[in-house]
Amino acid sequence: MENIENQIFSSYQRNPDLYDEIHDKKGKVKEIYQKLFNLYGEHTINDYVSLNNKAKASFFNQGITFQVYGDNNVQEKIFPFDLFPRIIDPEEWDIIERGSIQRSKALNLFLWDIYHDKKILKDKIVPIELITSSANYLDQMNGVNPPGGIYNHISGTDIIKHNDGKYYVLEDNIRCPSGVSYVICNRTALKKALFGVFNHYQTHTVTNYAENLLELLESVKPKGVDIPNVVVITPGMYNSAFYEHSYLAKTMGVELVEGRDLFVENDFVYMKTIKGPEKVDVIYRRIDDQFIDPLEFNPDSVLGVPGLFAAYKKGNVTLANAPGTGVADDKAVYTYMPQIIKYYLDQEPILNNVHTYHCSRPDELKYVLEHIHELVIKPVDEAGGYGISIGNRLSKQEIEKVKAEVKASPRKYVAQPIMSLSVHPTYIDDTESFEQRHVDLRTFTVLGKDKEFVLKGGLTRVALKKGNLIVNSSQGGGSKDTWVLKK
Amino acid sequence: MPREFEITYNAKNIYDDWVYDAHWQFLIIPVENENQHEVEIEFSNSLFANTEYSINGYGFKTLRVHPKKKFKEITFEAKFKFSKEEVDPYNFKINPDISLAYNELHNSDFKIIHERFLKSTPFTSLENKQEELFKFDNSISIFDNLEALNLFIFKYIKFTAGVTEVGTPLKQIIAKKKGVCQDFTHLFCALARNNGVPTRYVSGYLDQDSGYVGDSQMHAWAEAYIPEIGWKGFDPTNNILANTNHIKVCYGKDYNDCAPLKGIIHSQGRNKTIHTVTVESQQ
Repeated sequence: MENIENQIFSSYQRNPDLYDEIHDKKGKVKEIYQKLFNLYGEHTINDYVSLNNKAKASFFNQGITFQVYGDNNVQEKIFPFDLFPRIIDPEEWDIIERGSIQRSKALNLFLWDIYHDKKILKDKIVPIELITSSANYLDQMNGVNPPGGIYNHISGTDIIKHNDGKYYVLEDNIRCPSGVSYVICNRTALKKALFGVFNHYQTHTVTNYAENLLELLESVKPKGVDIPNVVVITPGMYNSAFYEHSYLAKTMGVELVEGRDLFVENDFVYMKTIKGPEKVDVIYRRIDDQFIDPLEFNPDSVLGVPGLFAAYKKGNVTLANAPGTGVADDKAVYTYMPQIIKYYLDQEPILNNVHTYHCSRPDELKYVLEHIHELVIKPVDEAGGYGISIGNRLSKQEIEKVKAEVKASPRKYVAQPIMSLSVHPTYIDDTESFEQRHVDLRTFTVLGKDKEFVLKGGLTRVALKKGNLIVNSSQGGGSKDTWVLKK
Repeated sequence: MPREFEITYNAKNIYDDWVYDAHWQFLIIPVENENQHEVEIEFSNSLFANTEYSINGYGFKTLRVHPKKKFKEITFEAKFKFSKEEVDPYNFKINPDISLAYNELHNSDFKIIHERFLKSTPFTSLENKQEELFKFDNSISIFDNLEALNLFIFKYIKFTAGVTEVGTPLKQIIAKKKGVCQDFTHLFCALARNNGVPTRYVSGYLDQDSGYVGDSQMHAWAEAYIPEIGWKGFDPTNNILANTNHIKVCYGKDYNDCAPLKGIIHSQGRNKTIHTVTVESQQ
């Protein structure tokens, strides 16, 4: 361990076993961080504390909050924001951007294939059981051609930097990935708090997300529609991402609706307005498949619109992302990503995949059970970091419990080596100092008809508990503004 | 000579409290296919609410009703008239080399193409021991095995109305050995699929004049895909092959894909639904 001379970072402890994003191996501040390091260093920790408190209050007052589930005592929390940004240089960003697009395109082709000819299954690249046993596979989508040929219009790709300095993808989120509003709010908050620092860097804007999203949604309009009417549908104000739904609708300049605001007549979708019904052509839906139409899926859903799926199937409305897309957002499908990219694009993956052991395969199950202390065990179909066990953090008893669960339902679990996420200096309230904390990065990719766009930035999530590797906001993570520098 | 059919479907829904918002979807229209032609539809409801024609998630024709005023009672009446060719269920040939068809069942492309009708669903899932209830005899053809399965189920379950409901799991039906046409059909689907034969649940009407068993509502039977022959209908409730008297409406993996009436009702209190179906035919 060594200390670094700089007032605000004076107590920063650098663990040489971890990959520190701002220091090189010798402990020297990397060139792209040098200016920032010095600028922050001009402040005292007291200045910083007061700035930090102001930023927090600003988030709360704007209602940029979320809720944590799995706890009886549900309350609104702000997503903790760290004022020290993360910088990504143009060369590294280029890899991330090309890699994110490559994965989104490959997943889109994969989805088209498994809902049409199923060639990848017939060629035995991906086992059929993986698809048909997935709760997110929708039989009803077989043979359906989504407008523009797009399934995963919006993808959130979770990427980490391992201690080998390379980027690895942990997950492709293609159901209703959230978090993009935080990217924009983080930028705004940082600009409010420390405007001056932006003068020293040429940083790409993140506020162009909404215009790109709208352009994408308009590009996949149903046949025969001239200027499409786009809406965002939300489960409502009690949803953990409601702020984001309202933010996106507002910044795109479209209506934010709930299921009860829409109705279907003769297989067309209409919005109730004070001027009478208004036809809706494209729906950015932030409601899960099972809830979009109580006549076709979960009959108890009050969030959806009766008859919506028939309207979709007849090609009269576009749903983004397409129903059934979740089948490819599955930790077991993830493990086939290198093969999927090769199969459809005939390319090598630009971003690495973490090696994955399938507990459904007897030999791999055996390995997993024997090496559980050095692996991460993940349920294949839970999102948001729920149900993850990290082998080296478990007591003997807990290990036995996890083993029993895996043995009982091997298809439900995959295992991966414990990845060492890179660390970034993060201000910690309790110690009033900067400490190393693990970070990841979620990129946001939109895919439309002849259109692809990756938001130049992304959500850097921070695991605020010391040593914790799980960065999800639902698990008590925070976030940082993420700067992609111009070339 | 084609037969002329006339089917009347009635449903009456009664609610304790006012219903302010309701959506119904009927999956009751005889499908047009190679032997059911020119289906004429008359549909009315007691509230004079507008009727829309649409499709369900698998493309089968549906009727939808969404009344725009409050009510405590609503009745629906549908009349379908159509003509149907005489169906000879035995009009096919079995290849003497029966192993060819068995080989096809094991072909991986075949399993992928038919995956929807090979997988088990909540309505057709069996417990380990129950899978042994009926095993194919590979020395006879797939068709002969399916006929034997039809007979097996016909004998195994005693047709008894009122002991099971829509959601009764198969394992309970196997234990009770009692049930209605849905239960017969789910067991047929489960055991045929378990032997590698793609099998689908068929919902429709049965002309009971010829003394067949069903109840006064809709009927259910199964269709199994036999390589080199195609889809064949088996009615385990009556231990017969599906014939001219079986009027097809739709098919799916199980009852859930074929529910004749789905309602999304926002109301407090209890409700009651009474369905009646009559099927008449003349040559």
